[in-house]
Amino acid sequence: MHILIVLMESVIIGGLVGFAAGVGAARMFNAPTVQALGAFRTLGEMNAAEGDAASHFSFGLGFFFNAWASTVGAGAFTQDVTHRVIPNWAVSALLLRSKDMNESMHNPKKMGIMSALIGIVVVAFLNVTSSSIPAALQVTAVKVLVPAATLLINMVMPIIFWLAAIDAGRRSGLLGTIFGGLAALIMGNAVPGVVLGILIGKGVEEIGWTRITRIMLGAVILLFILSAFFRGFDVDLLKSFSLSVPQWLTNWHSSMGG
Amino acid sequence: MENDLKDLEQAKSFWFADWAFPIIVGIMSAGVFAGTSMYYNYGVGAFNEVAIVAMLKAGMTDGAYGAAAAFGASFLFARVLEGSLVGILDLGGSILTGVGIGIPAILLSVGFEAPVKSFPLALLTGLIIGVIIGGIIYIVRHFTIGQSKATFGADVMMGAGNDTGRFLGPLIILSAVTASIPIGLGATAGAAIFYAWKKPIAGGAIIGAMILGFFFPVKL
Repeated sequence: MHILIVLMESVIIGGLVGFAAGVGAARMFNAPTVQALGAFRTLGEMNAAEGDAASHFSFGLGFFFNAWASTVGAGAFTQDVTHRVIPNWAVSALLLRSKDMNESMHNPKKMGIMSALIGIVVVAFLNVTSSSIPAALQVTAVKVLVPAATLLINMVMPIIFWLAAIDAGRRSGLLGTIFGGLAALIMGNAVPGVVLGILIGKGVEEIGWTRITRIMLGAVILLFILSAFFRGFDVDLLKSFSLSVPQWLTNWHSSMGG
Repeated sequence: MENDLKDLEQAKSFWFADWAFPIIVGIMSAGVFAGTSMYYNYGVGAFNEVAIVAMLKAGMTDGAYGAAAAFGASFLFARVLEGSLVGILDLGGSILTGVGIGIPAILLSVGFEAPVKSFPLALLTGLIIGVIIGGIIYIVRHFTIGQSKATFGADVMMGAGNDTGRFLGPLIILSAVTASIPIGLGATAGAAIFYAWKKPIAGGAIIGAMILGFFFPVKL
């Protein structure tokens, strides 16, 4: 019963995601005149294997095995399913019938339909096979992947993004450092702060202090204030500086359920 | 002449028109949000990297959704801006991370469980969110197109994002080594074989660790 529900839901999800991924990817070849949904890496990789059905297929297959391992291990598909596996396999299947790019990779209608079919098969396969694997495998996966992922999120990712911010220029380095440190304190992870620092720093560098960049900075500050409040950081902050927490703040927190 | 006709045809049809974009984003979001719902209920099916899904998992076990919410929401915010300016909405940052991880984390952190727990509601919630995001991009695009050349550091973030993936392989081997000797050997051999085949070594490390873990099980 459990497997049947997973299978049915997977078919629906796979069809929807596959269809949108296929249309979005084909539209990329017409961007920026057509608004597309995809990723620059997908665009580059699909161009790199252009015209050869076998290259598209084997490229997708490599990432499919990776996605399978990750799904079995942690229930996570990896972003490669939508970025690489579905679009490349859809192109590969279409190329078997026609070598014309306008009839395959660049055609949103054909890509959409073919990707929906492939999406259904891929998603159903990944979910059904991984929800019925032996317990010994799951324990191994948890013991191996969870510590690796925790290190990756808490240490490696913040450092990589931080160094990228510093290398990207003085403004993004400064804002990335400030927001990164604050985000690590308030949100428990520095990455969102560093990303926002890069976003605003590079934005100001490229278009200056316009209304757009000022609104963005305002939105970021608001995001920080709200997350601080909802995570109870304001109260912790006052307490750790040995200050008393005013009554109105305590009342505010209890009225918001925080 | 032929090109003009093609352009006219393209501008009108669903497959190429800007008005179709919110619908496409809506369909994608419906599927991805429902995938997160399945992960919430059955532990499989989240459309994201192990590292990012782990943030949501952390919230599911101890209720601290802050990291997932902030990470997902800020990615969504950045990508929506960028997407309308460059003409390609980044699927990974906006939909997979923003809608698939950030928004469910926000909903769960305020105790709004129904849209994530119920499959039909998840489809509907995802669809609505996606149409709104697509609509915002459609509007921003029509007001700003051609006016701004800024990328808001998208290239920097993308580069850093791709670098992150490279760290996962070695990290998995290091973590497998601490699990047990057979699992550590399996991960090392798997990674080496995948490297020789020119495949991402993270995949080989996981498969190698799993095979040895199956024959020499460890306790949790």
